[in-house]
Amino acid sequence: MTEVFETINWALVAPLLVIQLILQVVALIDWFRIEHTNGPKIMWLFIILLLNMIGPILYFVIGRRQD
Amino acid sequence: MSLLTVQDLKKSYDGKPVIQGIDFSINKGSCVALLGPNGAGKTTTLRMLSGLIRSSGGKISFEGMSDQSDIRFNIGYLPQHPVFHTWMSGKEFLIYVARLANMDKQIASKRADELLARVGIADAKNKRIGKYSGGMKQRLGIAQAMIHQPKLLMLDEPVSALDPIGRREVLTLMEELKQETTLLFSTHILNDAEEVSDELLLMHNGKIVEAGSLEGVRQKYRVDKLDVSFQEGFTPEEAKITALPTVLRMETNKGVHHIFVNDTNQARDEFLQLIYTEGWPLERFEVGRASLEDLFMKVVNP
Amino acid sequence: MMQFMTVFKREMLEAGRNFKWIWVPLVFILLGITDPISTYYMPQIIESVGGLPEGATFEIPTPPPHDVLMMSLAQYSQLGVLVVALMSMGLISGERKSGVAELVLVKPVKYSTYVTAKWGAVNVLVLVSFFAGMLASWYYVNLLFGDVSFIHLLWTWFFYGLWLLFVISISVFMNTLFKVPGLVGFLTILFVIITSIITNIFSHVLDWSPAKLSGYIRTMLSEGSIPADLWGTALVTIGISTALLIAAIYTFRTKEMA
Repeated sequence: MTEVFETINWALVAPLLVIQLILQVVALIDWFRIEHTNGPKIMWLFIILLLNMIGPILYFVIGRRQD
Repeated sequence: MSLLTVQDLKKSYDGKPVIQGIDFSINKGSCVALLGPNGAGKTTTLRMLSGLIRSSGGKISFEGMSDQSDIRFNIGYLPQHPVFHTWMSGKEFLIYVARLANMDKQIASKRADELLARVGIADAKNKRIGKYSGGMKQRLGIAQAMIHQPKLLMLDEPVSALDPIGRREVLTLMEELKQETTLLFSTHILNDAEEVSDELLLMHNGKIVEAGSLEGVRQKYRVDKLDVSFQEGFTPEEAKITALPTVLRMETNKGVHHIFVNDTNQARDEFLQLIYTEGWPLERFEVGRASLEDLFMKVVNP
Repeated sequence: MMQFMTVFKREMLEAGRNFKWIWVPLVFILLGITDPISTYYMPQIIESVGGLPEGATFEIPTPPPHDVLMMSLAQYSQLGVLVVALMSMGLISGERKSGVAELVLVKPVKYSTYVTAKWGAVNVLVLVSFFAGMLASWYYVNLLFGDVSFIHLLWTWFFYGLWLLFVISISVFMNTLFKVPGLVGFLTILFVIITSIITNIFSHVLDWSPAKLSGYIRTMLSEGSIPADLWGTALVTIGISTALLIAAIYTFRTKEMA
């Protein structure tokens, strides 16, 4: 496994991580400001925090209640 | 001068008639209450007038409007439960709907400010609508209905969902508005109709069962009776009252005696004489007027 | 036109306030770059986790650059379409369900304006996001696999963008038919799937089905020129989308907003 990490050019992968981070932060800000979500609000906090990449996207697409 | 004339207006859903051919007209400058129990068809009627739903038959004509032109230019409508984009501010929303009514940007903004002040929520104009209270939303609702200076303002149950304070605020506002524009509002609360309106349209089971000025309708359904109550704990001898020549019968409800008579003037004299002779501790004495409640019951269940 | 811009701008403002203008482009970029990167590192990944027997060599041929670009496109045709359908499912139905539509539609706004402005707003958001995603994908492909010309990238964006526009038109149409956003999303996806299935079954007849866009784009990328069928398919896609939009306006007008 370590070899893989050594051979990976981090400059290439960094954008993936940055995008993920932005999505997570934006989702958190929105989660904080919004009054209601579809389903328990606290559940969405865990989804955003624990599921990388997919969590924030799920939150925006399904969890966020449009009004 | 009639502003709006409705002829044989009908609406049915799946063949089931909800509005069964109603006729009425609204005069310019009047304030009309569309009164009726829940399910009478008030909302359906207003929604047809506002162009939100199509009628199944009949004709709606508006003063100075051809058949092709859009009635929505002339009408301001506040639905029973107005829902806004909660993420917008009150002012943003007003400008948005003003622009939908083809108003110029500057004019829209100016008019929005005026109306927000007019309905008393100028302080909150830049706050998100999501943070507004029920009364504030209702007032914003009235402001959005008035934004394009419609000739007729229609409010669907404007106060029934509000708490007593909000209710008072909106009623006062309506009292002011009726000086400026023609107002049609629906309600199932008799007091509200009595308080604000000059004219009544009484609706029941999809029909207009009575229409006219508040006084006229009252006169028509006038009940000759005396309402009296005595000091607490005192009960008059009913036989002595019913023995009076003009008295027909008497009903007692929660300490108030309703004495039905055939001539109020004579009955008043006789009755006061009786009280005087007997020395009964009279507390309240009222002649004649049927309350809207009585009237309503009479019209609805003849 | 003024009413169109009013509704359009309000949609844009909303997309900004609820962060759609951040997350939709980011999701499209993510979808675009995942494949070039994972394909590039595939040999190492297989080597480290695959547990190949000692000494066994495992040659994975490096795919040609345009194949990698097509992998990104495949992502869009699945997850991308899913995101578009879910994101737009409440566009009109949500407003009708909540009741906001009531306040908007008592104003003298034309129904056709209301529908087209909303359709236009989603298209701008999605097509811009898709462009950002393709650009990112293209950048990685050029870096890791070899050249794909920029002009081909633009054509790919244009032609595949038509597919997304088609999906949005379906969604807008469903939005005017039903008041429940979840149902609208589901039916939109179902419509897309059925389009693909029918295209597969009747492949020999339906030469210009919208579902064939990506196939012809592949041909374009590998051969370097735009096949005539791609133009035909593009025209058909535009035609069906327009028909859907007109049908949407019609149902919206006849359906009562109750």
